[in-house]
Amino acid sequence: MRVLDSRWFKLTARLLVVAAVLGLWQYIAVSGVLGKDAFPTMTGTMAELGRELQTADLWQAVWDTVRGWGLGLLIGCSSAIVVGTLLGLNRFAYLSGIPVIEFLKTVPVIAILPLAIVVWGASLEMKVFLVAFGVFWPLTIQVIYGVRAVDPVVRDTAITLRLRGLRKFVGVTLPSAAPFIATGLRIAAAVGLILAVIAELIGGAPGLGLSILTSVNAGPSRLPATYAFILVTGIAGVAVTSLFAYAERRLLHWHESQRNTASRAA
Amino acid sequence: MTMADLPGATTTTTEPSADGRTASPDVPSVADASVAAATTPSQQFSARSGRRAVSSLRRTVTSVWRLWFFAVILVCWWFLSADSTNTFFPPLKNILTQLWDLWVLGDARSQLWSSLEHFAVGYVIAGVGGVLIGALLWKFHRVGDAVSPVLYFIYVIPTAALLPAIMAIMGIGASMQITIIVLAAIWPTLLNTLDGMRGTDPIKIDTARAMHLSSTRTVWTVVLPGAMPQIMAGLRHSLQIGVIMMVVSELVASESGIGFFILEAQQRFAITDMWTGIIVLALIGSLLTFLFILIERVVLAWYLGARAVEQKG
Amino acid sequence: MTYSQSVTSGATESGAEPVLSVRSLRKAYNVGRPTEKLAIGDVSFDVAKGEFVCVVGPSGAGKTTMLRCLSGLLPPTTGEVRFEGRKLQAVPDRLSVVFQDYSRSLFPWLTVNRNVAVPLKVAGVAKKEREARIQEVLHAVGLGDVGKSYPWQLSGGMQQRVAIARALAHQPDMLLMDEPFASVDAQTRFDLEDLILRVRHELDITVVLVTHDIDEAVYLADRVVVLTGAPSTVAEIVDVPLDRPRNQLSTRSSQTFGQLRSHLMRLVTSH
Repeated sequence: MRVLDSRWFKLTARLLVVAAVLGLWQYIAVSGVLGKDAFPTMTGTMAELGRELQTADLWQAVWDTVRGWGLGLLIGCSSAIVVGTLLGLNRFAYLSGIPVIEFLKTVPVIAILPLAIVVWGASLEMKVFLVAFGVFWPLTIQVIYGVRAVDPVVRDTAITLRLRGLRKFVGVTLPSAAPFIATGLRIAAAVGLILAVIAELIGGAPGLGLSILTSVNAGPSRLPATYAFILVTGIAGVAVTSLFAYAERRLLHWHESQRNTASRAA
Repeated sequence: MTMADLPGATTTTTEPSADGRTASPDVPSVADASVAAATTPSQQFSARSGRRAVSSLRRTVTSVWRLWFFAVILVCWWFLSADSTNTFFPPLKNILTQLWDLWVLGDARSQLWSSLEHFAVGYVIAGVGGVLIGALLWKFHRVGDAVSPVLYFIYVIPTAALLPAIMAIMGIGASMQITIIVLAAIWPTLLNTLDGMRGTDPIKIDTARAMHLSSTRTVWTVVLPGAMPQIMAGLRHSLQIGVIMMVVSELVASESGIGFFILEAQQRFAITDMWTGIIVLALIGSLLTFLFILIERVVLAWYLGARAVEQKG
Repeated sequence: MTYSQSVTSGATESGAEPVLSVRSLRKAYNVGRPTEKLAIGDVSFDVAKGEFVCVVGPSGAGKTTMLRCLSGLLPPTTGEVRFEGRKLQAVPDRLSVVFQDYSRSLFPWLTVNRNVAVPLKVAGVAKKEREARIQEVLHAVGLGDVGKSYPWQLSGGMQQRVAIARALAHQPDMLLMDEPFASVDAQTRFDLEDLILRVRHELDITVVLVTHDIDEAVYLADRVVVLTGAPSTVAEIVDVPLDRPRNQLSTRSSQTFGQLRSHLMRLVTSH
């Protein structure tokens, strides 16, 4: 079965699947199997996508989305890291704070959306708030956990090496917490994007979500544009997750978990 | 890029956390982010203190005691908002009274049931489907490999963006809502199942072969149990996404449900009513997660125990 | 007194068919690619029924690789391995393996009883008899009352006993062990060594044990196969004419023990 496992076969197989999906899309759209006018043709959408990529509107929307996402992420993540570290280092604070944070983490962020709309309207601020709020709670827990979960052997080694205070924090606690924080950041980035799009699609804040909403409301003639925007949103999602995954791999190449992957792939 | 590379794919028990790319050996090291983040800090704490031995009464008392901070926040909220004339932040007292009137005495509860029904159906399909498809993709790894870029793409599209497409096909109604929930919630479970099964300790596979287990038996007795921590983590994440999507689908196109209730109240500028909806939603979300954690503790008793032992160092 | 015995025909001294027969075993990794590595060059030896054979060699000699080839987990590149006269395809029914890393080999989601039950279930043993056998084999390894515990609740030595019990549950003809006592402390190691000798005697099974510990090899074995470094070949097969039953104190302090030990040491370190 060697040939089936070779690199070029895998690549071809993947390309074939992608082509098949696109073909299926075209077929569904043209034949009207899932309802007439429900789907634009694949070719039509691609053409529209090409057109849109050349207009300022699309890129403005992309920028709006990225801006809200980025700001929300910045605020949410930095607060989470600060709060999480403080709570993680102090046992009492940790024990007291955990019930609250864990409870709030289980609250569907979406519940806050109507409130945010009411307070800020369909604006960038609303989006930033939603992203920051949604990202804060799970990331704080991640940070707390990372700060607290030092390998007992590493911890004991630090004690015998007489590492204390700031040295210990920078030399032992931070690196041990790094994988958790990195994972948390990666998830936060993905979740943040989802929330940004929701804020735009439902809340009406400017961005890709709003573009989708607008073209949906503009009716069937703009259907290719709607799908083009959806595709762009998907690509944005891919870009975000890949970027963070890549950064994580590079920065944490020393960590066991990364090494495992490498050895497993070998 | 393979499915195994899908970032955010795997999370061991609990958080949308953990690295997930690790091939977790059976009693994984604490240094392993995927493992250590496996349980919530409170689960960790419980396991570490060997609390199984402590009487449940004592446990309840200690848990309640630790809620002091929570209580303080509520009290502060109450007093800070007592004289509030701000439209957006009415007094907590009013909110709670309204909550009682509408939800306990009144008939707003029916909104909740319809939401939860859709959620339940969607979640079950997503959970079962996720595990099945994940297992199939693991078994037929070549298919999994070929299909992974497409799946990856669909996975990362913020599902909200797909709403219009789904609505166009399915119109407005229960089936649309359930479809949205399934489409969004299936991924964490699917990816975690796949990754969990892939991460099976090779020594266990060797042991299974040495004990002459057939391949079906190996999956049932070795691969699946070993992947359980990760599958449960995926299911938990799916739960949270399912709840969010349940509300999102109602906010966009629905005539009933808690999302609709909140939106409608907001449009009427009945802010207090809106707040009651938000609180109910928050309570439901946490209740569901809490129930899940209880189930998880039973299903993964062996895992939590093994990790606690290892944590003692 | 001659220490070594060269491998000649397939027949053993008693004239019976050997339980395990290795002929010109050769194992290479990444065959055909630039990273090709020859782990095992040319290994041949026999194991007679009821014998206790230890395999030693310097680090990196491919001992674990060889054990995997002997068990059927890994197919050889060339050469053959025959178990009870038949060429190996997969892991044969009548053969059991005990791995070094017991914490990873035992299933942490099953209690000790259930862990030991797995091979019995595979063999189709009925429930009542299964339970009886589990108790029997756990007693045999000295773990009468831990059946309901989970492996990770036990100490390292106890866990390895569980692994041994599990391997013996379905009464195999031969036991292959890959450095089984390397992950336990010295005191426990002595206990486990005596355990395996006793079990071997009581159940009359054949044992092939791979180890890096020369003292252990001499203490346990009837014969010791000494491998060279990679690509490994058989440097020598050393006969161990020590009396049985062996005793940690008296056997290890005997003159013969010391002589065998130095001889092996010289062989291993020179390669």
